[in-house]
Amino acid sequence: MDKNELTRLKKEAAEKAKAAAIKRRQEKERQASESGQDLELAKKKAAAAAKAKAAAAARAKAKAASTEKKEEESSVEPSPNEPLLQRYIQIIERQVGTDSYEEYYINRLSKDVPTILAKPHTYMDIAQVLKQQLHFDFLAELHGTDFETHIEVYVYLCSLQNGQSVVLKVKLDRDNPMIPSLVPLWKGADWPECEAYDLIGIKFSGHPNLKRILLGEDWIGYPLRKDYKPHDEGV
Amino acid sequence: MFGLAKGLAYTLKNLSRKKVTYSYPDEPLPLPDRFRGIQKFYPDKCIVCNMCVNICPTDCIQLTGVKNPDPTKKGKVISTYDINFEICILCDLCTEVCPTEAIVMTNKFELAEYSRDELFKDLQWLDENDQHVRKENKV
Amino acid sequence: MLRTEEMLLNVGPQHPSTHGVFRLVIKIEGEIIKEATPVIGYLHRGTEKLAENLQYTQIIPYTDRMDYLAAMTNNYVLCHAVETMANITVPDRAEYLRVITMELGRIASHLVWWGTYLLDLGATSPFLYAFREREMIINLLNELCGARLTFNYMRVGGVKWDAPDGWLEKVAEFIPYMREQLHGYHQLVTGNEIFLNRVKGVGTYTREEAIAYSLSGANLRCTGVKRDLRKDEPYSIYNRFSFGVPTREAGDAWSRYECRMEEIEESLKILEQAVAQFPSDGPILAKVPKIIKPPKGEAFIRIESPRGEIGCYIASDGKKEPYRLKFRRPSFYNLQILPKLLEGENMANLIAILGAIDIVLGEVDG
Repeated sequence: MDKNELTRLKKEAAEKAKAAAIKRRQEKERQASESGQDLELAKKKAAAAAKAKAAAAARAKAKAASTEKKEEESSVEPSPNEPLLQRYIQIIERQVGTDSYEEYYINRLSKDVPTILAKPHTYMDIAQVLKQQLHFDFLAELHGTDFETHIEVYVYLCSLQNGQSVVLKVKLDRDNPMIPSLVPLWKGADWPECEAYDLIGIKFSGHPNLKRILLGEDWIGYPLRKDYKPHDEGV
Repeated sequence: MFGLAKGLAYTLKNLSRKKVTYSYPDEPLPLPDRFRGIQKFYPDKCIVCNMCVNICPTDCIQLTGVKNPDPTKKGKVISTYDINFEICILCDLCTEVCPTEAIVMTNKFELAEYSRDELFKDLQWLDENDQHVRKENKV
Repeated sequence: MLRTEEMLLNVGPQHPSTHGVFRLVIKIEGEIIKEATPVIGYLHRGTEKLAENLQYTQIIPYTDRMDYLAAMTNNYVLCHAVETMANITVPDRAEYLRVITMELGRIASHLVWWGTYLLDLGATSPFLYAFREREMIINLLNELCGARLTFNYMRVGGVKWDAPDGWLEKVAEFIPYMREQLHGYHQLVTGNEIFLNRVKGVGTYTREEAIAYSLSGANLRCTGVKRDLRKDEPYSIYNRFSFGVPTREAGDAWSRYECRMEEIEESLKILEQAVAQFPSDGPILAKVPKIIKPPKGEAFIRIESPRGEIGCYIASDGKKEPYRLKFRRPSFYNLQILPKLLEGENMANLIAILGAIDIVLGEVDG
């Protein structure tokens, strides 16, 4: 019953779309034939259409914004990954301490990935727990971001055996961003840490070979910092 | 040795196959209508809305417009239109946003020049570039 | 008296076997490599910095230039990240077009790898055959989106062009043709004794090492890890198709070869199903505002590219430009294991090992 209804609706929509397309084409052809005589008119029309489109877009945006708000209000139901996050936090609290993290949440924008914001001095301990106790054996991504008030390191970890993911973040002081290197835990962190050092200027202590991997040692400044000014001698 | 012989058999079999190479540049390369080559510009269609300038990811388009010389008509008309082909990446976004299809793609792709200055294409050049202009521009 | 001396040797950055501008500084003693130091960055264009001043639509052409052998997956990862953040549902027809183009790209990319890898090893004819078939794919994509490599085809919420008349039929015709050619490829190369001697047992690493070094794609699957994001974390419409994830146990160059060749077959299976299920009508672009502004926040989205897991991190402050954009580029991560693999190896194996990793320098350098 439902299915029939759906197929009927689909068909109708398709027919409508087709009719609209034909109409559009006809109009285009008509316009093309007339374009010799009254290009001016066509131009005006296009300008008007553009204006109308812009207005429609603005309306749509406003609508989207309002529905989003509504959705936010209604989406109090917990994420399916909530129990996982609770488990991680429990284990971290037991192993590292109850005040070892700043906050933890489910990042709904990023396919509900559990996110833990560590403190700089517990970052390494939490990473260790994640690897050894929770089997996050695969480092998928490591990079830094300059948020102007602070610099953030973003580490995306996967567990190949459990099929789970977790994000470990840490906020660093912008003037002297220093954090232990993850290379002893995941060898794959080697080059990404070099990249973060090269482009953002985060120093990873204990890294076996921290170098400016992309730009070269003689580059001045850290390009991905928001206040970066290109240094061009002689240009 | 058997594997080598098997491979050789495949090579021999391919000797009798039809040739797939093009004899470019003796014959022009057949290109589909949607191919993105250097643009054609229609000055009388342009409404100087600046959409192409704003969308261009490499900032290679520059244009200026003046008030319509005909006092009975509103709006602006184009006076200069330049594309810098040193940095244009032929991404097609300018033709996508153009409301009047004043700028469209052509099939011309042979852009090599002896000097950089020649890569600076102005309104006249873009207007005269009218070979193999793309027919279908919007879906 | 015969003796060997330690020597410092530069391979690249203009060496053809490095597939781009990649430089290796190696310390050799006689024929044996003592130490290898990769030097990268020659192709760094600062995509991530440029993107901070561009709207999302304007970034798409830049992604084409990272992994230029399979630009469709790069297009997709950016669009998918923005769509996930802004909660945009993509129309079915657009998703099918995306999957078809991505899988065509995957086949084209593997064909280039196959051809050039054998070229590296000294076999010139496979290259010509591989490029003959790849040319057909490139022509199909050219007809669809007007460019041979830098497609700029996907948009946030859909795709730019609908399939032209007769295009899907051409794709459908290509599938059995490609299967036949693949059979020929195996006949030509797979049993070749010289080739087998060059790749079997060369560049071996274990499953644990592969995971520790964050390898992905065929480089990970060749050690027996059954991981393919198309299956494990289905995105787009991949859960509608049945296909296998080829794995091998040995972890050497030969098993990587086998994995990639089988992946072409699996991609053909997906293509076949996608063409059969292709919706006859419908929009190709969702209703999205002209200027896309994802909500404030951050997201990291990964998908499976021919070379491994490609990811896109977006930090948005609600404006039309991203606050920070970062790509996880699989070649960059996969290349990390190279110094370890080369240590103690014979000089002649250098190219066989480097080629088997399958890197694209545009992607390594970002």
